[in-house]
Amino acid sequence: MPNKPTVASDWLAGCAGCHMSLLDIDERIVALLEQVSLHATPITDLKHPPESGVDVGILEGCVNNSAGERVARQMRARCKLLVALGDCAVFGGVPTLRNGISCREALRRAYIETESTAEGRIPNDPELAVMQDARALDQVVPVDVYLPGCPPSADAIFFALTELAAGRKPALTGKNLDWH
Amino acid sequence: MNEPALIQITIDGRPVQARVGQTVYEAAAAAGIHIPALCYHPQLKPAGACRICLVEIEKQRALQPSCTFPVAEGMVVRTDTPAVVASRKASLHMIFSERTHYCMFCPASGTGETTDCELQKLGYEHGLDCWAYAPNYRKQWPVDATRKYFVMDHGRCILCRRCVRACEDIAANHTLGVNQRGARTMICADDDVPFGESSCVSCGTCLQVCPTGALHDRQSVYLGHESQIKRTPATCVGCAVGCSIHAITRGNHLLRVEGDWDAPNGGLLCAAGRFEVVEPKSARILQPLVRRDGQPVETTWDDALTLIGTKFSEAHLVAGVASPRLTTESLAAFECFFHDVLESSEIGLLSGEVPPLDLGATASLRDVAEADCIAIIGGNPLQNQKVLGHLIRRALDNGARLILVNDEATGIDAWAEMHLELEDISFHAASPFERLKTTYHLRVSGLLQLKKAIESARRPVLLYGSGLSSSVYAALRTLPEQARFLPLVKGANAVGAARLGIEARPVRGDALYVLLGDDQVDGLALPQSEFTVVHAAVRSAWTDAADVVLPSPTWAEQRGHVFNLEGRRLPVVPLLQPPASVPAHGQTFVRLAERMGQTLSPEALAQLAVQE
Repeated sequence: MPNKPTVASDWLAGCAGCHMSLLDIDERIVALLEQVSLHATPITDLKHPPESGVDVGILEGCVNNSAGERVARQMRARCKLLVALGDCAVFGGVPTLRNGISCREALRRAYIETESTAEGRIPNDPELAVMQDARALDQVVPVDVYLPGCPPSADAIFFALTELAAGRKPALTGKNLDWH
Repeated sequence: MNEPALIQITIDGRPVQARVGQTVYEAAAAAGIHIPALCYHPQLKPAGACRICLVEIEKQRALQPSCTFPVAEGMVVRTDTPAVVASRKASLHMIFSERTHYCMFCPASGTGETTDCELQKLGYEHGLDCWAYAPNYRKQWPVDATRKYFVMDHGRCILCRRCVRACEDIAANHTLGVNQRGARTMICADDDVPFGESSCVSCGTCLQVCPTGALHDRQSVYLGHESQIKRTPATCVGCAVGCSIHAITRGNHLLRVEGDWDAPNGGLLCAAGRFEVVEPKSARILQPLVRRDGQPVETTWDDALTLIGTKFSEAHLVAGVASPRLTTESLAAFECFFHDVLESSEIGLLSGEVPPLDLGATASLRDVAEADCIAIIGGNPLQNQKVLGHLIRRALDNGARLILVNDEATGIDAWAEMHLELEDISFHAASPFERLKTTYHLRVSGLLQLKKAIESARRPVLLYGSGLSSSVYAALRTLPEQARFLPLVKGANAVGAARLGIEARPVRGDALYVLLGDDQVDGLALPQSEFTVVHAAVRSAWTDAADVVLPSPTWAEQRGHVFNLEGRRLPVVPLLQPPASVPAHGQTFVRLAERMGQTLSPEALAQLAVQE
């Protein structure tokens, strides 16, 4: 499949709703796949974008821990254009609600101070992700295309992807611009 | 008043006729040219706070806020140049980044054109797909939920100060203000106390003007967007002011009530009219109830009406009591039933005494707001006719003099320039001897002081309560002709009842018919009788004590009219469909008359109501 733009996606701190909305483009996915070549996504077998890179990287969800940050940086490094998909990626979204409580305070309350806990301790295994404040994607890596919405409608996603496939930067207007 | 001079200006290349004194925004709006704005509200004085309405005006150094910039002859304005649009977008980006405008969990947020948020709407219109400046993700803005009926989420506040101006200019309550400066500016109440502990009276005017989801109504939040609800102009029957309302309904539910900006109440409502009417009531009565072995038992309309017919035929004297909240049509049917069928004149109103209505020319609500001298004689409008209270305070803000003639504290005493006792103006006080004393510059009697104040005013309004001594009313009749009078009536349709000859008075009979509608009876004693019928919408101590209970429609299910304290005939519009088992009051009386072998024609009842 030469010459078709390559696309990869992943999700961070989100609810997967944006990817569900992506699937909501229904049979149009056939038309879309004629225009783009889909690589790794969280809903296909291949999970990581190829080291050789893709043309378009799509990230759903905000960044709220070190694992998400690593995924965001890897995607940014491996794609030419990065799309922030959905309100969490674009604005920070629902996960930012927790920012009012500091990470330290939240962990202490959850693992030490809960009424049912005896001799608790905050998990610190090096393999575990470290909790961070929830932030929009562009607070961690530069973002090229914003596709807001909670979730963005299937129409908006289809419009944005076909525009990208045609080599244009999508300009969302009318019904496609809707971050409700 | 002279019409302001007309001048010619140009907006977006179009010649526009404007009036001297208009702002650029107003002139553009009048010519059908829409300039986006957030802090501007047609009912409020402009503030120039949001910078969204900036336009290019020739010969001006920088972009100017159209909402505050006055028009001038030959002015050339451009509202849509790239510089204007770029500035507007920059302002939007800054407003969005200031606080936590996460639309996805805001009640005002909507899709495309269905959003109720004016900020989000402008964001969509200007193609904002992200925030140019990240907000402070750590900053949490307080949510003040200390008021019973509505919540202030500072995170969604854009500091447009519409609420502050509504509190000042419309409600004249002066609770809201701003605290701090610049990025630290916060809307606050009084000396920065929680709203629920402030001087806020929950009139909800601020709620009605808020452009975003910062102020939201607890009862109707998330229950429907503007695009999903039905708005019906109607009349509030909470008290005799008779405020014009917009009832907001969806699927036969009353969600919210808003004030009608164009009516004499000018958008104002009180907490009772705006919020309490929506609150859940006690259990609705859907079927007639008959007391058997001391217990109320559900029965059919037929059985209930037959029982009432029999008992009323046996009774020596049937007395009737009606709520002043009812429509003139319901009251007319009630009066007609007693007069023609029961041949009883033992009828009265539950409450709502009406003072004499013929003291002089009647003042309108608008007269009150525009008065330069207000005298309150008896009565307590701040307590009993709250919207009138706001209008009075608005007039006082504009420099009106306040004269109080009252024996009790009324909550407005601090504003009074002169405070007399009722005895001071009783007619006998203006005896020839008193006049003689005036001549000799001795103590001027209260009535003479009052007369002097009225004489020196251009638009004096007298508000007078009920239940005052006849000598006080007699004294008021002697006031100069320019005085306009407004009776402080309590019951919503007490004036309509008075026109039908039904007055607030105690009644007694060996049988009793109480036409309660959805009125409250808190603390009132049910008149004693051997056989009592209560015709009510909801359960109360009175329905529990009744021998027969008939289901009644509520205020929102009736069609008819009420007369407010100005004597204006106001429409009562059915907002909700009543339950199938609940007929209109008139219909019940027609059927009851049939049971008693008599005829009340619905047409005649309708005629009676129209006769006023």
